[in-house]
Order: sequence, then C-alpha cells, then structure tokens
Amino acid sequence: MSHRLPLPDVGWQPLAGFWAGAAAGELRLPRCSCGAFRWYPRERCRDCGAAHHEWVRTSGRGTLFSWTVVRRALYEPFATFVPYATGLVALAEDPSVRIATRLVDCSFDELRIDMPVHAVFAPLSFPGIEGSVPAPFFTPTR
Amino acid sequence: MSAAAAWGAASELTDVSGEVAIVGVGEADPSGASGRSAVEIGAQAVERALADAGLEPREVDGLLYRSGIGPQFDEHAFHRHFGTDHELFVSHEGGAMTWAATAPHVAAQAIRSGKAHVLVNVFSVDWASRRGQMTGGPGAFHAQERMKANLEVPFGWFPQPVYFATVARRHAHEYGTTEAQLGAIAVAARRHANTHPTAVMRDKPLTLEQYLARPMLVDPLRVEDCCLISDGGAAYVMTGLDRAADRPKPPVQVLGVGEGHSDTGTYWSQQADFTATPQVFSAPAAWAMAGVTPADVDVLTLYDPFTIVALMQLEDMGFCKKGEGGAFAEGRNLWFDGGGLHSRGSSGLPLNTHGGLLSHAYVLGIAHVVELVRQLRGEAANQVPDARVGVYGGYTGATASTLVLGRA
Repeated sequence: MSHRLPLPDVGWQPLAGFWAGAAAGELRLPRCSCGAFRWYPRERCRDCGAAHHEWVRTSGRGTLFSWTVVRRALYEPFATFVPYATGLVALAEDPSVRIATRLVDCSFDELRIDMPVHAVFAPLSFPGIEGSVPAPFFTPTR
Repeated sequence: MSAAAAWGAASELTDVSGEVAIVGVGEADPSGASGRSAVEIGAQAVERALADAGLEPREVDGLLYRSGIGPQFDEHAFHRHFGTDHELFVSHEGGAMTWAATAPHVAAQAIRSGKAHVLVNVFSVDWASRRGQMTGGPGAFHAQERMKANLEVPFGWFPQPVYFATVARRHAHEYGTTEAQLGAIAVAARRHANTHPTAVMRDKPLTLEQYLARPMLVDPLRVEDCCLISDGGAAYVMTGLDRAADRPKPPVQVLGVGEGHSDTGTYWSQQADFTATPQVFSAPAAWAMAGVTPADVDVLTLYDPFTIVALMQLEDMGFCKKGEGGAFAEGRNLWFDGGGLHSRGSSGLPLNTHGGLLSHAYVLGIAHVVELVRQLRGEAANQVPDARVGVYGGYTGATASTLVLGRA
C-alpha cells in the first residue's frame, strides 16, 4: 500500500476510520468500550486493556494546546506553505487527546494558547504530488 | 511527583557504582560536510581514544555501538582497520544519545561476568555529508514511523524543530519562560565553543543581543536554538576500576547510571506532561546509585538538540524546581567562568563546556561524555576549577539517561 509522503495513506487500517470520518466531514476518533479515547490508536486500551475500539464522531471542538509558526521550510513539500501555523489541539471531550494540525483561516497574531478552535475540512494536497485527501484542519472559534 | 508516575518510569538497573572507569577518550575532528563516512570517522575516534588510554587495539576485547542509526565502526570495521582478528564481546547497547550514559552499565556487566575487560564505546555520524539524502534531515527517523507519517507529517507538524517549538511555547505559557532565557543557553554554548579548539562554531561569537535580533525559524525558536548538523564522532575506553590505575591518564569512575522512559515513546504530541522529559524518572535513579545530589555536581553536560530540551532537563534532574529552568540559565549562570558556581551556593552551573550539540558539533552526545572526562582530569579547554563530579543527561524523546562520573 504505497503512498507518497506527505500525503497520508488512507488505506492503512489503523487509521482508516480517521480518514473515512474526514471524507464525511467528521472528526472521528477511536474510543474503547470503557469510554476512553485511544489516541494514537494502539493494540490495547491503556485504561482497561481491551482490544476492541470504535471510531466515534466527536464534536470537532477543542482548545489550542500549543503551536508554532514555521517561517522557513524545514521539509521541502511545505515550501509553498511557509509561513504556516501548525500545532496541537486538545479535544473538548478529553483534553489528553491531542491532534496535530495545521491552523487555517486565521492570522498568526490572533493565536493564543488554550483558545477555542474547531475542525474544518478541506482537501489536503501538495504541489507536484499527485492526489488529494479530505482532512481536518483547525481554525479559531470566534 | 505523583503526576510523573502516570506517564513513564525508571528502568531497573543493577548497582554498578564504583566498578567501572573511563580510562581513555578520543574525538574525531568534527566538521560540516567532510566527505568522510561515519565508519572512517569512528576509526579516527577509536584510534585517538586508545592512544589516550595507552592501549593497543589487540588489548580491546569489547566493543559497544548502536546499530540502526546508520553504518558504525563495528567489529568488522575494527578488525579491518586495525588488522586484528581476535574475539570481541559486542553490544549494540552503546553509542551516543541515551546510550552514551548507559554503555558503562553494559560494560560493568560484561566485566563482572568476565566477557570482556577493556571495552570501547564509539559513535560517529556523517549527517552533514548525507544531509541531502535524508527526508527532513534527522527527521527521517520520524517520517518513517507510520503513525507520525499519517497524523503529523501531512499537517506540517514535523520535523524536530517544530516539535520542540511547540514544547517551548507551552513551557513559556505554563512557567513564564522567556526568549532571553532560551537565548542564555544558546549564548553559553557558543561562549564555550569560542574557546574550544575543535568546536565547529569556534570562530562565531554570539551575544544575547545578537541572538534576540535574529529572526524566528519556528516561533519561539531561532536557528541558534537548534543544534548543528555535523560530521564527527568520539569514543571512550572503559575498564574495571581495579585496572584503571595502570593507565597513563587519571581514571574517571562511573558513580551512577540512570535510565527512564515515557509511556508514549516518541509520540511527543501525546506525552501527558508535555513540558517535561523522562529525566524525571532517570535522574533520581542515578543520584541514588551514585550517592550524590544535584548540589554535588561541578560540571554538567546535557543532550541539547534544542535549547528548550536542555532547559527542561535542568528542571527534571533537580538542579532547580520545575518551571525555574529559565531563571537558572539566565545571564552567565551556565558559563564555566561566568556565573556563581552551584556548589558555592549561588545559582547556575557550568553547562556543556565544549559547546554542546548547539555549538560544538551534532555528534549526538558522545562528545558530552568525552568533555566530562577531560573536566574531571583537569585537562578541559574550558576548565571548571577543581571539578570532582560531572554529569551527563542523555535524551531521545522516548528515553532519558543519566551518567554520574567522579574522580577516582
């Protein structure tokens, strides 16, 4: 199942539910029957040890745990995006779940730690790399 | 800290305090892109370490290195280079990063069991020469990890400068750490490199004013907060303490070793205490084995891929309270000749007196141990007066390690 970095491999089973959710415009995350989110997905639940988990729709809301503005491309596929803001969002339902994201539709100056943000869905693509994948990005909730 | 128990633990290590000595050190010439392979660089480091120890290659019966970080000066390279063919005890639990601290523990066990008596730990790297072939430079390792390749890389949360800029901003939010405090770590490293004969940044001074005037690379980090990319390497020779007195240089003994890990491994994004390192688990174990406290330490070397990583380790190893690393590092507190010496009651402690990964060379921590040995022998370029106890803090993200050395 080959794919080209930095595009995600939507067919990779451990994360297929995440990308299927994004295609449906939903932020879906794996949750164990004991109620705990299992992020990143792993074989067994850290809390109860169960193997089974389901991909459930979340609110898509959270807070900006931390971020940075990448001023100079450190990785060539992002050269056309710089400067861009990227960081971690703490999920509203369980802030210990952090989602790595690119922050969109905002000015860098308005970003604040712990500010409310929500997911928006858009095609993820890179110049010179074939294909595009619907993906969750985050934007400040105004 | 009860919160700490939730996200990692210390490794159980048998007590080896006082059993092993470092009797020889050698550094290959560090540089930018040199065209030399890591194996050639490693050979130069081992040659120099053996010369320093007054030993012949055929007297070495143990070799430690790390496989999986690229070709290393392994047992085949050893025999090819030195024209030897004798039996060598080999361990892959050596090298740099955290293993630069834990290799002496492996050596102690080998010596105890009679598997080896004279062991060399070596690490070398040619990443400056190979930079163009690596996805995101040293980020290649992380880009190959599938969870990161699918959940982090596509969103530009990659490579390491991005991870640690995110950590640094959160640390600033939680504890008030300032850019000038991060800068103090970069400036101290550069000040030491400026008077260290082999440091790559020897001829490039850096003041705090110059640092603050530099543009952001990944806010709040500047280029000066990030390590170099280098060719280079180093090696050190270990024997039992009983044999160490026969060597030409004053032996340095291993007082304590610690290792700790984070349950979330290199998934920094998910580490429960985002602004801490597994030194929280490693350092207390090393202090206990060594029977020393942070207040006893005269000179410190910390794995410093980014200023914030050094700052967090200062806190997590107990040199100051959590959140006070910035104040601890301020001004000239970390200079070998600048701040008050820790042991004399004022704040600060000489840190990375060779320049570290930030300004000496990115040889992943092996030169940090070489520097400590030189300090404890009294032969360092930036000598801390009467240095008796030296400590190295190693770090990979998933793991941290602690090595406590003392004059024998």
